[in-house]
Amino acid sequence: MSSSFEKHQKRRLVSSYFSVVLSIALVLFLLGLLGLLVLNAKKVSDHFKEQVVVTIYLKDSAKQVETKQLEKSLAMSDYVKSTEYVSKEQAAEFMKAENGEDFMDFVGYNPLQNSIDVHLKADYVNSEQLEKISTEALNKNFVDEVSYDNDLVNLMNDNVKKISFWVLFISSIFTLIAVLLINSSIRLAVYSKRFTIKTMQMVGATKQFIRRPFVWKSVRLGIIGAVLALIGMSFVLYYLNRTFPELGLLNKPILVILLFALVFGLGILITWISTHFATQRFLNLKTDQLYY
Amino acid sequence: MPDPILKLKDAAIYQGDSLVLSNVNVEINQGEFVYLIGKTGTGKSSFMKTLYGDLPLTEGEGYIVDYNLKTLKEKDIPFLRRKLGVVFQDFKLLNDRTINDNLLFVLKATGWKDKNEMNTKVEEVLTKVDMKTKGFKFPHELSGGEQQRVAIARALLNNPELILADEPTGNLDPQTSVEVMEVLQDINKNGNTILMATHDYALLLKYPSKTLKCDENQVYEVVQRKP
Ligand SMILES: Nc1ncnc2c1ncn2[C@@H]1O[C@H](COP(=O)(O)OP(=O)(O)O)[C@@H](O)[C@H]1O
Ligand SMILES: [Mg+2]
Repeated sequence: MSSSFEKHQKRRLVSSYFSVVLSIALVLFLLGLLGLLVLNAKKVSDHFKEQVVVTIYLKDSAKQVETKQLEKSLAMSDYVKSTEYVSKEQAAEFMKAENGEDFMDFVGYNPLQNSIDVHLKADYVNSEQLEKISTEALNKNFVDEVSYDNDLVNLMNDNVKKISFWVLFISSIFTLIAVLLINSSIRLAVYSKRFTIKTMQMVGATKQFIRRPFVWKSVRLGIIGAVLALIGMSFVLYYLNRTFPELGLLNKPILVILLFALVFGLGILITWISTHFATQRFLNLKTDQLYY
Repeated sequence: MPDPILKLKDAAIYQGDSLVLSNVNVEINQGEFVYLIGKTGTGKSSFMKTLYGDLPLTEGEGYIVDYNLKTLKEKDIPFLRRKLGVVFQDFKLLNDRTINDNLLFVLKATGWKDKNEMNTKVEEVLTKVDMKTKGFKFPHELSGGEQQRVAIARALLNNPELILADEPTGNLDPQTSVEVMEVLQDINKNGNTILMATHDYALLLKYPSKTLKCDENQVYEVVQRKP
């Protein structure tokens, strides 16, 4: 009877170790991503901001000289990264390619306008700056309209902060869950050995000495979790780097290595501290209290 | 005359809030063999627990192997226990490891480092209790009497100034009790001081010695009648 009970205990213990490893891996993975994000926050947000396009639509009456002149002066100003002249024929081609059908077939003529696409430098992508640029352009009598997605711009500016916040928030929840899981699995392990622990105390073993194997055991789980998290981070890093090579995520390998080391250390620290507190309670019990 | 190894003065023993023994005045000197007798529930175990720090001493004075029980700190308890050897009725061996590993655990836990010294010590104490050839066995592979002899060997590891044995023969048949008693007597003849709680009066008659009795919340010395 007692042996089947022990088997049951063991199975519970193994599955609780499993959940500990998993939750630690998740925590560390999320924190690692957060770290990557923080390390590259500027680059990432700049990358997205520079996707913002201001399109200046030109009247059909605009002369080529005027257009060229505008494009040149835009290209020379410090807030512009690049400009691109898009003729209405190009625009039509583009729409055709995108929609898969030729709207000129129904309309009979090309209703589109010639335009200049302006990409801004990241530091200037904000509402005021865009407002300024568009008023300036609209002052020219050959400019018909200026359009850009203001909401998108605001979104960009908020996004990095928001993403960081949510990653941090979710990480803290997972940290809490991990600590609770560690706590309950350590308790299970310690509880199943409570009489042994008491005997050890009776022969003069210090709490620290008795605690050591328990701490070592869960630190090992922490290490496994950390390794899983690092593998996950490596994958993410690899794919991000392949998809967005312009971000140069691996330009400063020392920072990435430091981040990995930090995540690894955190795995050890979290398990260490929670095991310390989980064992504390049992080590403080007197013999008679063990039976409750 | 050297200081006594154990001295209680007007001490009270409590289990939680309930008073178990009061006005306890006891002295045990180096080399003595002292019985603590009394019916079940009269407080022998509580008395012992107070001596090895499992129950706090809150009233009166108590000194044991140079520790003041009244001011004993939580962190001092392991070190107090290293100067005592405690033997229990239910042996309390670590069932997950062999006899040798049981003893080695104690040595490691109490700060021994040298492998050879540890092995020599383990062999020495097992020889004392005549269990030298059984070191490789697990506790459950031994009889009760053998397990208790190992427990006594364990108590001897750190050359304790006082051995506290709480009904060491309580789980043993009369024949085996006598064997374990012989071991304790031998150890006592070699100079170890022993306080042994028991309600086995047959042993008292066979091995007469100084006797303390727990009765009606009191501890007093009884003079044995020679049969
Ligand atoms: N853990 C405990 N909590 C409260 N009372 C206890 C506890 N253990 C023992 N007692 C009480 O203390 C008294 C002495 O018990 P104990 O010291 O075990 O006696 P003995 O060892 O002589 O049989 C008994 O009345 C018992 O009911
Ligand atoms: Mg008892």
